[in-house]
Amino acid sequence: MRERVTYVQKLGDSLEPSALTVEGGTIKGPEVHAVREDRLTIALNELPTELQTLVAGAQDLHIRWVSTTAYEAVSPLLARLPPGFHFFFTPGKDGIVGNKLCPLLGSIFGSDICLSPNESFTSLPKDTFSHSAAFQYFQQLETLSQFIQYAKGRLCRSTDASCSARLDALSKASSLDISYDTVQHVLRVTALWPYQRQQVHVTSHPQLRTEVGILSTDKPQTLEPHEIGISGLLTVLGQDFKPSPTMFTFASRHRDAESTFSAQFLTPTGLHPTLRLRLASSAPLNLSQHDDDNNDQDTTCVPYAYLTLPRTIFADRYQLSDLLFLASKNLTALRYMTQPVDLEAPEYVMAQWGSSVLLELSPPPPSTSSQPEKKNEREEWTAEIPLHLRYLAPAEGGYSAISVPYPAVFWACVPEHGGVEFPPNPFEKVKLGYDGLFEDGTVFWHVEPRPVGGGTSLVNVVRVPVLDLEKARWVNAGTAVAVLGGFAWVVWKLVGLYMYGGDGVEGEGEKAREKKRQ
Amino acid sequence: MASPFKPAGTAIPSAPRNSASLVSSFFRRPGPLYLSAAILRLIFLLYGLWQDTNSPVKYTDIDYLVFTDAAHFVSRGHSPYERETYRYTPILAWLLLPTAQTIGTPLLDAALFNSGKVLFAAADLVAGWLLERVLARDMDAATARKYAAIWLLNPMVATISTRGSSEGLLGVLVMALLSAVMARRTTLAGLLLGFGVHFKIYPFIYAPAIVWWMDRERMGSPQQPNKQHTPLLSKLFAFITRARLQLAITSLAIFLVLNLWMYTLYGPSFLNHTYLHHVTRIDHRHNFSPYNTQLYLASASSSSSGPGLQIESAAFLPQLLLSCVLIPLAMAQKDLPSAMLAQTFAFVTFNKVCTSQYFLWYMVLLPLYLPRSSFLADKRIGVTALVLWVAAQGLWLQQGYELEFLGRSSFLPGLWLASLGFFLVNCWILGVIIGDVGTQPKAVAS
Repeated sequence: MRERVTYVQKLGDSLEPSALTVEGGTIKGPEVHAVREDRLTIALNELPTELQTLVAGAQDLHIRWVSTTAYEAVSPLLARLPPGFHFFFTPGKDGIVGNKLCPLLGSIFGSDICLSPNESFTSLPKDTFSHSAAFQYFQQLETLSQFIQYAKGRLCRSTDASCSARLDALSKASSLDISYDTVQHVLRVTALWPYQRQQVHVTSHPQLRTEVGILSTDKPQTLEPHEIGISGLLTVLGQDFKPSPTMFTFASRHRDAESTFSAQFLTPTGLHPTLRLRLASSAPLNLSQHDDDNNDQDTTCVPYAYLTLPRTIFADRYQLSDLLFLASKNLTALRYMTQPVDLEAPEYVMAQWGSSVLLELSPPPPSTSSQPEKKNEREEWTAEIPLHLRYLAPAEGGYSAISVPYPAVFWACVPEHGGVEFPPNPFEKVKLGYDGLFEDGTVFWHVEPRPVGGGTSLVNVVRVPVLDLEKARWVNAGTAVAVLGGFAWVVWKLVGLYMYGGDGVEGEGEKAREKKRQ
Repeated sequence: MASPFKPAGTAIPSAPRNSASLVSSFFRRPGPLYLSAAILRLIFLLYGLWQDTNSPVKYTDIDYLVFTDAAHFVSRGHSPYERETYRYTPILAWLLLPTAQTIGTPLLDAALFNSGKVLFAAADLVAGWLLERVLARDMDAATARKYAAIWLLNPMVATISTRGSSEGLLGVLVMALLSAVMARRTTLAGLLLGFGVHFKIYPFIYAPAIVWWMDRERMGSPQQPNKQHTPLLSKLFAFITRARLQLAITSLAIFLVLNLWMYTLYGPSFLNHTYLHHVTRIDHRHNFSPYNTQLYLASASSSSSGPGLQIESAAFLPQLLLSCVLIPLAMAQKDLPSAMLAQTFAFVTFNKVCTSQYFLWYMVLLPLYLPRSSFLADKRIGVTALVLWVAAQGLWLQQGYELEFLGRSSFLPGLWLASLGFFLVNCWILGVIIGDVGTQPKAVAS
């Protein structure tokens, strides 16, 4: 078992080595404004038995949880997903997905996670690009409280208060990633806390090799446009007596578009709510500078929205295939949607988790003004995503509330002549659901979700009209009375016709005419 | 929404004199009527093309995109059922194969893509022509055309077919079936009946009416007195005539052959989507059916607990009893076209799912009944029926709008009461139709 704790500050914020004190297994420092990432690397044989069987049967396994509370991230820890519990899974070579998977995930994260892999999971496309997992699952999950309890039971001795305290801190985390590395046979558990003021203070656990990095974004002279730079201080607790400076650059898959968006439903929502994205974002700046060379336009950047929609709400891929309709919503095209998505079934008969959607947005054309200072002034623009509600089960009061997570919004820059390979970097994050839908070498420039009106929740709530159970008392009887009444009236008329209706005109007239013909 | 009772302003016998002469010259020869019916559809079609290319709100019906997508799959050697929500016979996709072709010229490609709508609109005209032929058995050609105009010049009918809904094809099939029966062409009638049931299931309701109508006297086969049997048996033997057997065998044969053929081509997905879907569907999006609210309630409670299924299955009873047994028994012998109208009306009214497209099923038969209807004879009844029918739908649509677009929970009591109200209005109209059978023609200007 190994541990890595990293503080990442923004460009220009750095710490002098003298500001840190390293003593025994503890590093202490001043208050910094940074994100904090903790990573625990656990070898296969150190895992609890149930987890060993789970990961041993997998070719690919990623659990990603994202908080519903908006947070600011810092390069390079930028990869974003819609808030909730994401699960990406490729079974082992035998292709069997065990039925124990769902109960196990349920016992770790919360009881209402997936019914059975067969019914609940969706398949990711195999044909487009080979680098995505086979199955996807998503579920809205507000808190990690169940996970914290589970982890305490497996990791902490009952006497170890600091262990419990560190796990309790997960309740304030912005994201949690659990990935199994099938090459090194290790499970990496990574938690991220938002960009905020915090004390540098880490104590190592006796049995744990703990490495602490206090880093910040850097821009050395030699930095290539496709690279990002990191510099700072590294310390291995219990081994180093003072921090050692470090500095490295690498090509990063995930970058900061340095802009924000918000998502809100247009009102009234009705049964066909429209999610409006409000963006203050233009094509990544670096690349537009890059374009100034004019001879080297080998990258095109396009904005996308990636939605994970719970099964209460869905998009209609047929509706999203008409170019004129898409254009009227500031959308360019539907690039991907889970298949199949039932267009008719009510929510309460479905087991599939829902569907994911990748939509290409159409930004306004770049302003042609030649004033370079205007480049930083971002004009706000919107895109509207038409969605449809399923019928929900009847409820008291006539309304049910559903929540819809914010999408992930990013500019994807797809290299036109084959991409650069991204060398492994310590902050690499792949298999996020959408990256597999782009060719290798694509760079994702993430737009930060920022709720409107000072809110912090990355979830929109929709009030769904349903049949009001309080008023349903008379439905069965009333329907029966009406149907039987109508039926009786029609039968009465038929009886009247049968008894007294005479011989009929058509019969008479026709027969008479036929006689004439003869 | 236009009304099926719209008498096109012309069919009312007591029209003012000078306009009457204009009207009668319009109907004197077939040319003007069919030409204007065709032009009406052409205008709608072109308008639809314009709207589709210029507005994000489409004129073309979503179903048409389902059909043409399915045709596209078929043209590439795939199954039409690869298109989600394609729930029709593969024959429909085959008929629309031209829509899947492209030549490369945008204008021609657009024409090809829309050729299905042309087919549906042409089906409207053929249905109108068959309607005129059946009507002309009881009246002069000009009057027959006047009544046929209720179908041919009805803007609602023209809209539905030019938007690309296939219901117009049903109109042709049903009218062809009726005119084949009236002309005593039993084999042809059997083929059409079998094909119609294969195509859209519901025409099976016409089988008992036609069989009941085809008695020995009417079909002109000699009586065969049989004295060896008891009265009951002899009645039974008397019922089984050559014509009835011929109809049963040909219709059953064509139905089975078509289904076997489609099954060998597309396997279980054909059966599932074309037929079984209608039995197992749990899709309670609000519609005009009186059962809708009840089914929504039952489906949700049956998915958790409790027996909610009885009422769902019992709902078939009044519907099938009326449209397959009681109406044929009481009406078919007296007036086959009106009986078929009443059957269809009962089938749609008592159905578990009811949308405005289904109204087209009975609208094609309406002109055959109107000449002897109380609705035209007594304008108060006619106007009352029309107003009630439109108002009940309007009320429902208003509640539906509040639900669908404003998000107000109008299921109860609004939508529920509106659908029951519409149901009762329909029952009353059905009662009037039944009551009119067996009376002399009322409105025919002879």
